[in-house]
Amino acid sequence: MITFLFFLLRISPGDPSQKFLSPDLSPKLASLIKESFNLNAPLISQYETFLMNLCKGDFGISYTYRIPVIDVIKSFLPFTIIFSLISFVVQISFGFLLALISVRRINGIADKTFSKLSLMIYALPSFVVGVSLIFIFSELLNLFPSSGLSSFDSESFSFAQKLIDYSRHLILPVITLSLGGVAVYYKYLRDNLEEVYNKPFVENLRAHGFDEKYITRKHIIPNAVNPLISVAGVELGLLFGGALITEVIFALPGMGRLTVNAILSRDYPLVTGCTFVAGILVIITNLAADLIKAKLDKRVVKGILN
Amino acid sequence: MSFKIKVWHFIVFLMLLLIMLRINLLMNTFLLIIQFINLFVYSPSAADAQLEFTFFDSIISAILVIIIPVLTFLFRQRINFLQRKISFTSFVIIFLLSFFLFAPLIANTNPAFQKDLAVTKLLPPFSSIKVIHLKSDQNKIENSLSDFINLKNLVVKRSFDESLIFADSISIGNDLTYFQKGFPTSLSKDKLILKNNQPFITSKYFILGTDEFGRDIFSRLIYGARISLFVGLGSVLITLFLGLSLGFLAGYPGGFVDTTINRITDMFLAFPVIFFIILIIALFGNSLMSVIIVLGFSGWMSLFKIVRGEVISLKNKDFFISARLLGLSKTKLLLKEILPIIIAPVIVNLVFQYGNVILAEAALSYLGLGTGGSYPSWGSMIEAGQNYLSQAWWMILFPGAALFLTLFAANNLGREINSTLNPRLET
Repeated sequence: MITFLFFLLRISPGDPSQKFLSPDLSPKLASLIKESFNLNAPLISQYETFLMNLCKGDFGISYTYRIPVIDVIKSFLPFTIIFSLISFVVQISFGFLLALISVRRINGIADKTFSKLSLMIYALPSFVVGVSLIFIFSELLNLFPSSGLSSFDSESFSFAQKLIDYSRHLILPVITLSLGGVAVYYKYLRDNLEEVYNKPFVENLRAHGFDEKYITRKHIIPNAVNPLISVAGVELGLLFGGALITEVIFALPGMGRLTVNAILSRDYPLVTGCTFVAGILVIITNLAADLIKAKLDKRVVKGILN
Repeated sequence: MSFKIKVWHFIVFLMLLLIMLRINLLMNTFLLIIQFINLFVYSPSAADAQLEFTFFDSIISAILVIIIPVLTFLFRQRINFLQRKISFTSFVIIFLLSFFLFAPLIANTNPAFQKDLAVTKLLPPFSSIKVIHLKSDQNKIENSLSDFINLKNLVVKRSFDESLIFADSISIGNDLTYFQKGFPTSLSKDKLILKNNQPFITSKYFILGTDEFGRDIFSRLIYGARISLFVGLGSVLITLFLGLSLGFLAGYPGGFVDTTINRITDMFLAFPVIFFIILIIALFGNSLMSVIIVLGFSGWMSLFKIVRGEVISLKNKDFFISARLLGLSKTKLLLKEILPIIIAPVIVNLVFQYGNVILAEAALSYLGLGTGGSYPSWGSMIEAGQNYLSQAWWMILFPGAALFLTLFAANNLGREINSTLNPRLET
């Protein structure tokens, strides 16, 4: 119930960011332009029209692009979602893989190295990683392109070539975006797995002579993964925000860079639209995580109903 | 018995090393203090005009560099931390703190010093250039004030110096000829400061190279540490204040207030904070203060959750009820009854928050929304370096490494404090 209430609150546009939309405008734009953007009206009435438009799904017209904000966002949003999802999958799968490897022998060599490494990687800022990757792979080795999404001559490529081109451009950004997440998931999963590993029921199963592989697959993993899902939901929501710096480093056409540019050029309708979309994405991911959790564990549903 | 390097050994050693290396500068600083007192007694108004932040900065760091090793030595038995074996974390933290306190002593150039761009631009690490000292015409009037100013110029690093010329190479004939990027210029000897009838020429070393404006990266790195730590400190204090007061405010009365504040906190927690920070900074302008305030306001949520939970569980305990019935004010209840109990999780949270804030500050500077151009910052150094990636790797390597080490040390420190304060916790 609490989650439900909270989602309602988030959807309602009492968003703190929107309060700051108007006060600082006046010195930046000439009064004529202000007229045309309907910024001379009192704040309250502006807010009213804004709310009305929002209900109709209209964010207004972007100042810089001169087309409706929705259309601008439409052209940038798919990239961010695909990009974040790829990175999300990479994070989860690598974190999971490494955690499994290190749990196989707690305090073994692999466990110790990975734990140390994950702490170090966690402390690495994404822009340092990104810039170093560009330096190593683009400048020194000349393996991958350093920025953009497609090569300049990609128009003439066939579909398969285009796909290869895209993926070549995406490898470095995905590594940059995923590295921190891999460390987080690894740490979280490792601790969870270790905890379940030493639980009495696992000991019991082991004493009954079940195969270790069977125990891991059927009993340990499901128990350890369950709490991960809500964390993953929050993390995916944050990923849409975290993609911002990566997009700036690699000059990728995503929502993060769009937002930063919009904020820097004081394109208020666009900023509102981007913030709103980001908020919606966060809500959707949280909701999805909750639904999956409820699907996996009937007790959650019972808890909500009570 | 094996000899272990303890923390206090390291601190004393570092300070002594610093004193040895900068003995000239220190002597000058103490002379400057004496002259300043002198000047202040005779003409307070003239002395007043000489007061600046950098002046105090130099004096305070000079005094501290003497006092700290003495204090460390005296109190080495009393303070537990000083008796510990030196670890990587404490090593990095001591280095950072000494950068913070002794920046004017360690850095031998002003971080904004620019001169003769043709020579100094994008120099690799460990390169050196020749410095020609010109005669300055300031020495003509001899009174106590000009003495003072001359001395001050020796101590306080300025961001410009007209009496220096940087050159790649120098040849001395009848006139002195110096080369800047292969372009020769000649100077007559009577303009130069002479020593033993030879022109006075020194070498200047750039340990970590220079950036695209010919500024010394080493000193920028050190002053950048200062900005990072300062921003972290300021915003963590704001976070502490907000988290404590809001947590108490929500947890103590409960009911409607609690629900409202808690719900708002949930809202902030779910939203990607970086959007929020960027939005506010872009709207209200980026200055040092606004960055500190915004970062402070963006990190109070987890602290709030901790404090609120603890307050709710503590407020029905006997000691708390009796303290309340004794008539303690709410502030006193918070500070005297609750804070001592929850201090451990609060400190751990603040240390982690400190790391987060430093990272956020660097990220903001990287996006060009940081503390502004007037202060060197690690993030903006990396951002500038990205444009010269193919020519100057040192422009991003050193600030990147500094940032990494700082964050790593902050995270480690948080975990260490956590395990010290909660011995029951594993790992």
